[in-house]
Amino acid sequence: MTNAVLTDVKIVKKKKEKVYINTIKRVLKNKLAVVGIIIILLQVIMAVFAPVIATHNPSTQNLVASELPVFSEGHWLGTDNYGRDVWSRIVHGARISLIVGFTAVTLGLIGGITLGLLGGYYKKLDGIIMRIVDLLFSFPGILLAMLIIAILGTSLVNVAIAISIWSIPSCARIVRGSVLSIKEKEYIMALKSLGASDLRIMIRHILPNAMAPIIVFATMRMGTAILSTASLSYLGLGAQPPTPEWGAMISQGQDYMWTSPHLTIVPGIAIMLVVFAFNVVGDGLRDALDPNMDIQ
Amino acid sequence: MKKHLWLVLLFIASLVLAACSGESASAPKNSDGSSNISDKTFTYASTSDAVGLSPIGMNDAVSANITEHVYEQLFTLNPDTSEFEPLLAESYENPDENTWVIKLKEGIKFHDGTPFNAEAVKYTFDKLRDPATAAPRASLLEPVDVINVLDENTVEIKTKYPYGPFIAALSHTNAAIVSPTADKAQDLMKDPVGTGPYKFVSWTQGDKIELEANEEYWNGVPELKNLVFKVVPEISTAISMLQTGEVQFLDNLPTEQIKRLESMDNINIEKKDGTAIYYLTFNHSRERNQDPEFRKAVASAVDRDAFVSKLNGLGVRSDSVIGPQVFGHDESADKAGTPYDVEAAKALVEKNGYGDEPIKLLTANRDNFILMAEIVQAQLTEAGFKVEIESMEWATFLDTARAGEYDITFMSWSNVTADGSEMLYPNFHSDNVGSSNRAQYSNPVFDELVVKSRTTIDQEERKAILKEANHMMIEENVVVPMYHGIVTTALDKNYTGVQINPTGKWYLKNVTGK
Repeated sequence: MTNAVLTDVKIVKKKKEKVYINTIKRVLKNKLAVVGIIIILLQVIMAVFAPVIATHNPSTQNLVASELPVFSEGHWLGTDNYGRDVWSRIVHGARISLIVGFTAVTLGLIGGITLGLLGGYYKKLDGIIMRIVDLLFSFPGILLAMLIIAILGTSLVNVAIAISIWSIPSCARIVRGSVLSIKEKEYIMALKSLGASDLRIMIRHILPNAMAPIIVFATMRMGTAILSTASLSYLGLGAQPPTPEWGAMISQGQDYMWTSPHLTIVPGIAIMLVVFAFNVVGDGLRDALDPNMDIQ
Repeated sequence: MKKHLWLVLLFIASLVLAACSGESASAPKNSDGSSNISDKTFTYASTSDAVGLSPIGMNDAVSANITEHVYEQLFTLNPDTSEFEPLLAESYENPDENTWVIKLKEGIKFHDGTPFNAEAVKYTFDKLRDPATAAPRASLLEPVDVINVLDENTVEIKTKYPYGPFIAALSHTNAAIVSPTADKAQDLMKDPVGTGPYKFVSWTQGDKIELEANEEYWNGVPELKNLVFKVVPEISTAISMLQTGEVQFLDNLPTEQIKRLESMDNINIEKKDGTAIYYLTFNHSRERNQDPEFRKAVASAVDRDAFVSKLNGLGVRSDSVIGPQVFGHDESADKAGTPYDVEAAKALVEKNGYGDEPIKLLTANRDNFILMAEIVQAQLTEAGFKVEIESMEWATFLDTARAGEYDITFMSWSNVTADGSEMLYPNFHSDNVGSSNRAQYSNPVFDELVVKSRTTIDQEERKAILKEANHMMIEENVVVPMYHGIVTTALDKNYTGVQINPTGKWYLKNVTGK
């Protein structure tokens, strides 16, 4: 008897491992997603080792050597109008956008998953929660974020909070949808009849089965969050000078677009690559996690 | 999937290529050289629209550009001599300290046919200072007690106390004379009527204002027949329009665009030392800022020469609070400030622990304010201070500064009357704490000097008083003057003759085509 249970557990574990490996294998077959993963990995490396990779202090000014073009001696991406090294600012900016993006998505997921689980599982709460979600949906995203920042004040922390609040409604809807279908499954019925608590059913059994769309959502959302952080900083609502935030760099550089175009193009390309990477990886994950699709 | 990858790579490559092509601006288009260029529309572009077109109701630089051409004042500042000269007035005399008898020019008519006379002057000034009008610049005539019409062309103004800069006040844009008939019949804010060289034609809100030459102008009919004041929100777009000949005239050229403008060969750039001042100010209501040693430490940490070198020649370096183009300036003040000495600053910071508590550096996010904030922040950090920048848009910034919610900030003052009293009184007299004295500065000795500079009639005596007040501010590091402005304009090469004032105002009446 005990042996049989043990082998069962082993089989389940093996099956789980196989699912992960299969997913990863499928993602790796998608070449675009691989490109995305490489870009993300590069950004993570840049963010983690920023002080080592950066050739200069990102906020040290050198007014004599300002607006140097790309491939200048000692500054391969040139310098900005204050003589700060653009490469070092890009590297430190990677750190900021990853941290803000990650924080915003995590907070958004916590809020969205909680609301989605509660709404999907308890019929009585569904009406109220979904109306709140609808209300949040009725604001255009960037306006909602601007409103929240207007109330909280301008800072990167507040940008993260604003973007996370803006992520809550879509996440809640996705989770609720999955919960609604999963909770009708026989094994949930079985758990209920065995007397499992609601919390246990939600956390241990429904949530893991609803993970696929959440992972895809989170990945895609990272791209959006990074882009929104840059947009808000571009508008002057996020990072305050001299923080080397990519959006803020573009906003500062645009006054010099005619004489030093690299001040807008370099951070622009950085933002574009990262957002692109998160989107294609999200796409790849969605394809890989979809049980109905079979990619060759 | 593969196909997509190539598309993406191609897209990136095209972006990079576009970036590399750099300056490929189109060749400047010359106007077709037709015989009478003055008949063509002459267009000036500004980044924002006018607020209103009545000198009584408006108080902003964009509106002033237009009202300056439609209305006229009794006196005007001669940009070449920096002296005040009669315009609509013929002459004036002071029978006593509190009385100004002004003779007016005869035979001048408003655009609507109403004769210009003493009644019109009395009507305009009474309306401007009437509390019921709530005119934004009613303060210009605050010292006026009563206005009497002596005869058709003579007006007598009695002041409550001797008022030194009175002629400067009467030459202010907002002290222009309006047609009483028109003011009673219509809203001059939308449909202006004055005595000026140009008549109002139409105003399309948010787009353009059109003026036409006043063929009956008393001082010579202007050569340009049609003026258009166009709104172009983005300055770089306006510069492109200047390049292609859609716009003929721009002012307030931003420092970061100077290199681009100088590379264009169909325009002439004119620069003139101006009256505007840009300065770092302390919030004098904060305890730490009241410590003279703290202010000295900040002043010695700010390398003003390095900053001015970043302005591409668009700033004049002087320690004087009353700028070189402003009445009351004295050369002895130019180098009287605390010199840049980062080692001295470091020593003071270390000795007194100034680096322990962060300084909130408030800044407006426009013009050169951000540039000043970032450079000064880096310089202060080098000296050991801890500085946090908070930037906000202009209107919010003004409110925040007025409420005194900052440690240090940058302010500017364009000084339309070019008089030192008009700089020191609104910005630093304790009467104005909570309104225009955003530095929250309050010093009874200084207050007394400023009041004296306003109530003295003798101009030489006023100069001496202003000099004393100026030196007092510099010695105590009340503010750290960053630079004095330079007035800049760019004019299409086919035209000549724009008159530029050190106050930043300009006048198109004498413009002619080449």
